[in-house]
Amino acid sequence: MDQQLTEMPLLSKLYLNAAATAAKQRLLRTTPVAALPARAVEVRGVQADLAKLTAFQHLMGKPARDVLPSGYIHALAFPVAMSVMVQDDFPLPLLGMVHLDNAVEHLAPVRFTDVLSIRAWARELKGHRSGTQVQLVAEVRSDDGLSLLWRGVSTYLAKGIYLPGLDKPGKGPAPGDRAIFAPPQPTARWQLGVDTGRAYAAVSGDFNPIHLSVLSARALGLRRSIAHGMYAAARVLADIGSPKPDHFSWNISFESPIFLPAQVSLHIADTFADDGGWQGSEFTAWNAHSARVHFRGSVVAGAAVPRTTVGQPIPVTGAEPGAAPLR
Amino acid sequence: MNATTTPASGVRKAVVVGGNRIPFARAGGAYAHSSNQDMLTAALDGLVARFGLQDETIGEVAAGAVLKHSRDFNLTREAVLGSALSATTPAYDLQQACATGMEAVIGLSNKIKLGQLDSAIAGGVDSASDAPIAVSEGLRAILLDLNRAKTTVDKVRILARIRPKDLSPDAPSTGEPRTGLSMGEHQALTTAQWKISRLAQDELALASHKNLAAAYDRHFFDDLITPYRGLSRDSNLRADSTMEKLSTLKPVFGRNLGEAATMTAGNSTPLTDGASTVLLASEDWAAAHELPMLANVVDGEAGAVDFVHGKDGLLMAPAFAVPRLLARNGLTLADIDYFEIHEAFAGTVLSTLAAWEDEDFGKTRLGLDGAFGSVDRDKLNVNGSSLAAGHPFAATGGRLVATLAKMLHERGHVDGRPARGLISVCAAGGQGVVALLEAR
Repeated sequence: MDQQLTEMPLLSKLYLNAAATAAKQRLLRTTPVAALPARAVEVRGVQADLAKLTAFQHLMGKPARDVLPSGYIHALAFPVAMSVMVQDDFPLPLLGMVHLDNAVEHLAPVRFTDVLSIRAWARELKGHRSGTQVQLVAEVRSDDGLSLLWRGVSTYLAKGIYLPGLDKPGKGPAPGDRAIFAPPQPTARWQLGVDTGRAYAAVSGDFNPIHLSVLSARALGLRRSIAHGMYAAARVLADIGSPKPDHFSWNISFESPIFLPAQVSLHIADTFADDGGWQGSEFTAWNAHSARVHFRGSVVAGAAVPRTTVGQPIPVTGAEPGAAPLR
Repeated sequence: MNATTTPASGVRKAVVVGGNRIPFARAGGAYAHSSNQDMLTAALDGLVARFGLQDETIGEVAAGAVLKHSRDFNLTREAVLGSALSATTPAYDLQQACATGMEAVIGLSNKIKLGQLDSAIAGGVDSASDAPIAVSEGLRAILLDLNRAKTTVDKVRILARIRPKDLSPDAPSTGEPRTGLSMGEHQALTTAQWKISRLAQDELALASHKNLAAAYDRHFFDDLITPYRGLSRDSNLRADSTMEKLSTLKPVFGRNLGEAATMTAGNSTPLTDGASTVLLASEDWAAAHELPMLANVVDGEAGAVDFVHGKDGLLMAPAFAVPRLLARNGLTLADIDYFEIHEAFAGTVLSTLAAWEDEDFGKTRLGLDGAFGSVDRDKLNVNGSSLAAGHPFAATGGRLVATLAKMLHERGHVDGRPARGLISVCAAGGQGVVALLEAR
């Protein structure tokens, strides 16, 4: 049972919607049910806006090609995923939700002229030691729905929200290994100005207040504004280089927010096949001053290998509630 | 290998007649208010005076600058028009980062060898003091849109887009565009990778100062330099430097390497202003003008490495280009009498030498049977190099070619064959240009 949207929802409206829902729930003191809506949301006839795409590509500091960067496709699909999260029966509040990780399989190049169909649904509602986590799956297909081009799984955490009936994992693999991180010599450095969040909001449409200004971030309980996780992901992908093989996979786990302004050090290590061809890259980013890890991840040619080094493996494929039958 | 390297049939020789540069000045010093065009013209004037080129039409003048104002789109031609050369001398700008001067020499020499030119002047200039500062990207986009706007309403609407942050200027940085790391931080990685000690780097820096000072003292540079703006020696030169003084300096690059942080302001080149020129010619042209012939430009080679994620060091391209150049000419390191390896950092020179002495590097990276070979330190940068003289990016190639040509000419023959010299210059973007010269 899919919900078909006739056009791409506006993120600004979705955020307002989310704020209204949050206020309503506070007023009515409704206790959400620990279940996810079974329906997916789908938008057809989606096409990239060339001016926005160019601005996105230039913000990442790389030449603007006609092929969409993987991070841009995430931005394109994000309003659809958000539409899932603002549904009345979605059990977690959208505002203040934290991005934990992302795993993407980019199966084929997508050109800005391609007409796309984007479908998103939620799965894996689970307890987390500091709240409740949920996965949002977004699939981008050719408009006829026949070929899958891009598939992303984003894991979000609603901090401090505990739903009845969900187990709260004990103090498992706490992030205690942060203290023993010995930073390697960086292979790159980012100087992120205080306007980094606003700049990414302008090209991605993601005007989440936690990214825009100190004041709007404080209103949501943060001491300063923070960089978008997807800015970091898109930029590290750009740094790793393109074009990559037509089929590649990447993942990123966010370990601590990047409070703006910031100086971020990165270490990117490539692996090559015997014939010299690129096989993959691993990356780690940390605060240049405090050496606190901000994020880690990898990019590999072809389909993803589940990661086990940091946190738990992130399944990229497999059956899930509400999964779309292959059409 | 005693055979001289002879050009292929149909290709004639290109000779270095001589050179002229102005003393190099630390940024913000004697040339703080001198533009690239000022300095390139001064270097050109000195060359014209030295070789009597007034009103002479030179085949072509090629020079460039790394830090360049957009108004200087025709920098070299403008310098020619402002010089005593004939106004009928064509000129062009080129740019290959710190290898600009080397590429100018090699390209022009090749044209002479092919008979397209009889004479040429190669040069380079850079000012870190008078660096271009651009308006911010935001303001630039607004101003360009404003220029395209047709109506007053449109113009007002476009002007209203200006925000305070758009008004902050955009200055050039020494950071590599793809990594955001400065050249020094990149070299710190390489220096640590090849385990180059602080002591070895300081020794190389000291030798550079001592050798350059000694060369000035015996008047070696008298016919290579024309004083400018009150300077008659490179202002970075510290003839009285000692290991004690160098050892007190704190590391400035790779500081998070802890014990392995070895790169200081003493064993790294400072930002520098300056210009250099080299007069190149066919043998016939030089003879007809009764000018000296110091050396032949035998061959040149460019190289580049994949440095972006640290596969190779940013400044290690010459470690690959030199073996190719020497192999093509049937030579080994043992056949070279003088090495001019540009001292971007002491660590750059020492990492390159270490790579050449490394058996694994020779086998796996250079495809040789073992290590490429060793450089006899008594033949290395014998009249000082960039650590002492300074390094105005595009001007370094001209300094090296003129200096080496004179050294080779003074040396004359070794074992019955002309003395040979090798120049190696690393450049931003993971590039390098190297060249082989031979005494006349």
